[in-house]
Amino acid sequence: MDAVERANAEHQKQWAKDQKIGEGTYAVVYRGREVSTGRKVAIKKIKVGQFKDGLDMSAIREVKYLRELKHQNVIELLDVFSSKTNLNLVLEFLDTDLELVIKDRSLVFLPADIKAWIAMTFRGLEFCHRNWILHRDLKPNNLLISANGQLKLADFGLARDFADPGYKMTHQVITRWYRPPELLFGARYYSTAVDIWSVGCIFAELMLRTPYLPGESDMDQVRTTFRALGTPTEEDWPGHKKLPDYFDAGQYPKTQLRDLFTAATTECLNLLAKCLIYDPYKRISAKEALFHPYFTAMPYPSHPSKLPKPAKKGSTLPLEEFDGNVDFEGAGPGVRANPPNKLKRKLSAEELGSRPLARRLDFSQHA
Amino acid sequence: MSNRPSGSSWLRGTTIRKGGNGSSASTRTATPQVQSTSTTIFGGGVKDPSGRTSEYFSMDDQCPVCKSDRYLNPKLRLLVSACYHKMCESCIDRLFTLGPAPCPICNRTLRKLAFTPQTFEDLTVEKEVAVRRRIARDFNKRAEDFPDLRTYNDYLEEVEDITFNLINDIDVAETEARVARYKQENAALIELNIQREEQYAQYLREQEEAERQEREQRAAELRRLEEEEREEREKGRQELIDRLETSTKDAAKLVARSRAQAQKRADARTQSSAFGGAAKAFRGRTNQGAVVADEPHVPLADAWYAYDDKYAVRDTYFDPLSEDVRRDKDKVFRAGGYRVEEAWERALRFAVASLDLAPLQGLHSTAVAVEPPVISADGDVIMAST
Repeated sequence: MDAVERANAEHQKQWAKDQKIGEGTYAVVYRGREVSTGRKVAIKKIKVGQFKDGLDMSAIREVKYLRELKHQNVIELLDVFSSKTNLNLVLEFLDTDLELVIKDRSLVFLPADIKAWIAMTFRGLEFCHRNWILHRDLKPNNLLISANGQLKLADFGLARDFADPGYKMTHQVITRWYRPPELLFGARYYSTAVDIWSVGCIFAELMLRTPYLPGESDMDQVRTTFRALGTPTEEDWPGHKKLPDYFDAGQYPKTQLRDLFTAATTECLNLLAKCLIYDPYKRISAKEALFHPYFTAMPYPSHPSKLPKPAKKGSTLPLEEFDGNVDFEGAGPGVRANPPNKLKRKLSAEELGSRPLARRLDFSQHA
Repeated sequence: MSNRPSGSSWLRGTTIRKGGNGSSASTRTATPQVQSTSTTIFGGGVKDPSGRTSEYFSMDDQCPVCKSDRYLNPKLRLLVSACYHKMCESCIDRLFTLGPAPCPICNRTLRKLAFTPQTFEDLTVEKEVAVRRRIARDFNKRAEDFPDLRTYNDYLEEVEDITFNLINDIDVAETEARVARYKQENAALIELNIQREEQYAQYLREQEEAERQEREQRAAELRRLEEEEREEREKGRQELIDRLETSTKDAAKLVARSRAQAQKRADARTQSSAFGGAAKAFRGRTNQGAVVADEPHVPLADAWYAYDDKYAVRDTYFDPLSEDVRRDKDKVFRAGGYRVEEAWERALRFAVASLDLAPLQGLHSTAVAVEPPVISADGDVIMAST
C-alpha cells in the first residue's frame, strides 16, 4: 500500500454510506453520515468503470470548482475519496430544492420570500463570478435548500472558469428553458451574463409558479424567448446577427413585463427586466444586482428559517437535485446538451499510457 | 282550449311540472308557489349572491298570448323571450316544440331554449341587465391595462356607447360588428382578465376558509382553556381544604400559598396560548413557533472588494494574445458578451490578492485537505491559486 492509497483509506474511513437515494447516468447518490459526528451527508459515487478514457468530465469539473468555493450559498464539498474504481464526492446534505418548492401548490409565496431566494441566489452566484467561475447550469432544480432555509447553488458539473482571450467555450450548456439568447445563437465567447439570464428566468418562474420560457426545442426556445420579450433589433443587441447559429426567428412585438407580472412592484420588474436584457454587455451583473433597490425596498427579504418548504413525503427525498443527470421523473427538459463522452478530449495512446489510473487521482493536493 | 297540456291536466285536478311531483293538489284558494324546476331547461335569469335565480312573480300575471291568468292557472309561469316578450310555459311548449317559430308578438324567430326566467318587473330593465352582463364579460379590461387614465376613460365611454346602442336597438348590426371585432382583437387579454378574476375569487374563497378554520380553532382552544381552568380551580380548592384539615401550619399562610400557585398556573396558561396563536399565523411555514425577525438586505457581507482600490484596470494593454478579441472583426465577441477587460482584471486581481496571502502550509497532511486554506470573517474563502 503506497502513501496515496493510505491517505485515501484514511478519508474513506471518515464517512459511512447508508441507503441509495438516487441514480443517474454517471453517478449514484447515497445518503451517508460522518462517522465521528453523525452529521448527515450525501455521497455521490461516480461510476468510473464504464468510461474507457478516465473520469467523466462533469465529475472533474465538480471537484475542481467545488474544492475552491466555500460560501454560505454554494453547496459544500466535504471530501473526495475513491473506492475500488469509483470516485466518491462527499457533499453537504440538503433537504430539498427550489423546483419542489415551486411545484408544491399548497405553498403560498410572499413577495418577501421570493426576494430572499433571489438574494441568496445572487449572493452565491456573485461569489462564483468573483472567483471567475461560470456556473452554466442554473435552474430551480439546481438550487438546493438546506434545513435552515439557506439556498445553495449546486451541480457544478457544467461549470468552468472564465476563458482566456480567444479560447472557445461550448455553447451547449444550461438547460434549455434557462438558456440565454447568445448561447441559443451559438456564441462561443461569452461571460458571466449567461448565468444572470438563468437567474432572471428563475426569478420569473418564482412569481409565475410555472416555467417562464418553456421552449420545446432549441429553435422553439428562441421563438418562445422573442415572443415573451420581443425580437431584438441590431440596436438592442449589436452584432447578434453575426453569431454562428443566428437565424431569423420572426418578428415579435415588445411587450411590457407588467402585463404578465401584474402583482409585482416596480423595483421587482426593473430588476427582472435588467436580468433579461438581450445584450450581454448591458445585462446586470451579479454584484450590481445585489445593490439593486429591489432588495432594499420594503418588505425585507424573509428570514431563511421562515421560507416555505414542501412537506416531507416519506423518508426518501428525491435526489435528482444532486445532478441534472439523475433524472428519474423526467420532468422539465432536463437536457444535457452534450452526452458526457462528447465533451471529452480524446486522448492519444501514449498520453493514456503515461496517465495515472483514475483512482490514483489525488484530490487532497491543491493544484 | 288554448293551453292544451297543462289545461287538461288542470281539469283533472293535477298539474304537470317538469321534474316535479305531479300529485300536489292545487286548490284555487291556495297561494300559488313558483317552485321553478325549469331552470334545467331555461337558463339565464339573474342570480342572487347565493347562486339561485329568484323569479319575478305577481298575482296579476297574465300570458299576453293565450290570455290565461293566475286565476285560471295558479301554476302560471311567464318566461321572457330573446326579443323580450313574455309568454307562459304552455304557450312556449305549444309554439316552439316543433322547432324555431316566429314570436306571436313581434314575428322574430325564436327557439324554445332561448327563453329565460323573468327577474324584474320591468322588461326593459331585464334587457338592460342581460346586455350589460354580456358586454361586461368581453369588455373586461382593467385600469392597469391602460397607459393612462385618459385612454381608460375613452375605453369606458366606448363600452357605454355599445351598451346603450344594444339596449335601445340603435344600429344593432353595426354595433354587433364592433363587439365582434373587439373580441377578436383582444382575445388573449380577455382570457387573461377572466383568469385573473377567477384567481381573485379563488383567493377570496381560500382566505374565507382559512379565517373560518382559524375562528373554529380559536374557539376550541378557548373552550379547552376554560375547562382546564375550571378543573384546576376545583383541584386547588380541594387541596387547600385537605391541607387545612391535616396541616398544623397557619391557615392564612396556606391560603396565601395556594393562591400564589393558582396565579402562577394561570400565567403559564396564558403564555402558552399566546405562543400557540403566533405559531398559527405561520401555518405552512417552516420553523413553526420560533418567530425570527426579517433583516434588511446587506449587499455584500465581506471585504472582497476592498482590493478594488489597490489596482486599476487600464483601457488597454500590450497583449498580443487578445489582439483578435479586441479587434473583433466578426463582432462575435461583442455579441456573445465576452470582454477582454475581464480577463485582464482577473489577472490583476490574482496578482494583487496574493500579496496578502500567507504562504499555505501543511497542505500535504491529510487533515488540512478537508479544511479550506484561508477564510475571511464570514466564511468566504479566498481562492488559493489557479
